[in-house]
Amino acid sequence: MSTLERLRSLLERELDLPADALQPQATLEGLGIDSLRMIEIVFTIEDEFKVAVKAEPAELRERLKTFADLAAYIDELVAAAAVAP
Amino acid sequence: MRRVSVTGMGVVSPLGLGADAFFDALVAGRSGVGVLDIEAPRPLATGVGAAVHFDAASYFPAAKVRMLDRVSQFALVAAAEAVAQSQGALEGDKARMGAFVGTGMGGARTTDESYRTLYESGSDRIKPFSVLLAMANAPCAWIAIEHGLAGPSLSYSCACASSAVAIGEAFRSLARGDCDVAVAGGAEAPLTFGTIRAWEALRTLAAEDPADPSASCKPFSKDRSGLVLGEGAAMLVLEDRDRALARGATILAEIAGYGLCTDAGHITRPSAEAQARAMRLALDDARLSPAQVGYVNAHGTGTEANDGVETAALHSVLGDRARDVPVSSTKSMHGHLLGAAGALELTAALQALRRQVLPPTMHLVHPDPACDLDYVPNAARAVAAFEAVLSNSFAFGGTDAVIAARAA
Repeated sequence: MSTLERLRSLLERELDLPADALQPQATLEGLGIDSLRMIEIVFTIEDEFKVAVKAEPAELRERLKTFADLAAYIDELVAAAAVAP
Repeated sequence: MRRVSVTGMGVVSPLGLGADAFFDALVAGRSGVGVLDIEAPRPLATGVGAAVHFDAASYFPAAKVRMLDRVSQFALVAAAEAVAQSQGALEGDKARMGAFVGTGMGGARTTDESYRTLYESGSDRIKPFSVLLAMANAPCAWIAIEHGLAGPSLSYSCACASSAVAIGEAFRSLARGDCDVAVAGGAEAPLTFGTIRAWEALRTLAAEDPADPSASCKPFSKDRSGLVLGEGAAMLVLEDRDRALARGATILAEIAGYGLCTDAGHITRPSAEAQARAMRLALDDARLSPAQVGYVNAHGTGTEANDGVETAALHSVLGDRARDVPVSSTKSMHGHLLGAAGALELTAALQALRRQVLPPTMHLVHPDPACDLDYVPNAARAVAAFEAVLSNSFAFGGTDAVIAARAA
């Protein structure tokens, strides 16, 4: 399963976001993900992908505009965790 | 000073949801007390409590449920009913509308779950919204958000008097003209392992009645053994009377007076002198004489300490008439809702005033000679129309709050 698919099923299961709306180019803003929701998403991602998100949720909302951006960011975190000692 | 009308009532109680269903159950003498079914790592000594049967998912979308501790869920559901019954009280200038909510323990379930995660599971992964769920002003804040109430929003925490104080302070705010409409009441959801254990340790909880667990709370009875914890919420819509009349609202009752004082003596032991003072303050505030009072909803916890002291206080206030004024403790049926108790019991008293039927004190089989008033034992009583009611709330910490209400 790709990160995107895994994330989609995670957010549907844990946060009740509608899976159909979680398309790669869907914007996080358009999905109604505000600053509080982002905190919840970061928490869920940390548990599911066994990564630590050090960036502030507000900063992530600036950087990551779409659902695909979020999935790519997780890939980066997972890759960084894999090479870490 | 302006007059203050009640134009809406809402209840989430162990006896059901809805202010009418709640009162019907009281009149039927039904008990919401039963054997508790809660998640507990070890058995509790106390088997009984008064739980609300409630499915949050039928009231809120899942994303919202995660933002709300059980106490706030109760508060919102009760407020929605009260607002709906008011038929338009919240139309108008929202900056002139407020929320006044009492709670003793706030988001106890969230706190309990956080501690389990931290100390039992050894994990640091506390849910990200724990602060927002557990904070004591969450029920009040959510009511203000849900209904756009942009005037004063205040949370009161004085243990078992919290919601009587919230309603009393809303009454004063409206009477002074600080706001025109208020949603006022209380909410409590203390039925968690940690909270119940803490109350057990204080040795104030009733022993389970071996023959009938639903009869475990026995206020004013010689064989009473303590209070039974309950959960739920009750909310009123309070409104400037002239405004309510102008918009053609149905006025359910009038909040007529509020008495507030403090024992200032002992952290748990009640004071008959202070309780009597609070009742007199409420009567004076309402310009009522004891002779006009047709019913008192007692604090009546069913503890050894409370019931005799409250009886003495009622004697002191009502004088020669004391034995003629019906007094009941509906806690015998819905348990002790702590911070929500005052609002729930005032709702019972307002319903008694409207329907001319007094809810009983159930499970009062063995009278205590020290408790010698007319407690409306074991069966509801139809009465002729009467003028006014008192609702008593006396707290650990010593806060004594009494609300006086008149028929509409």
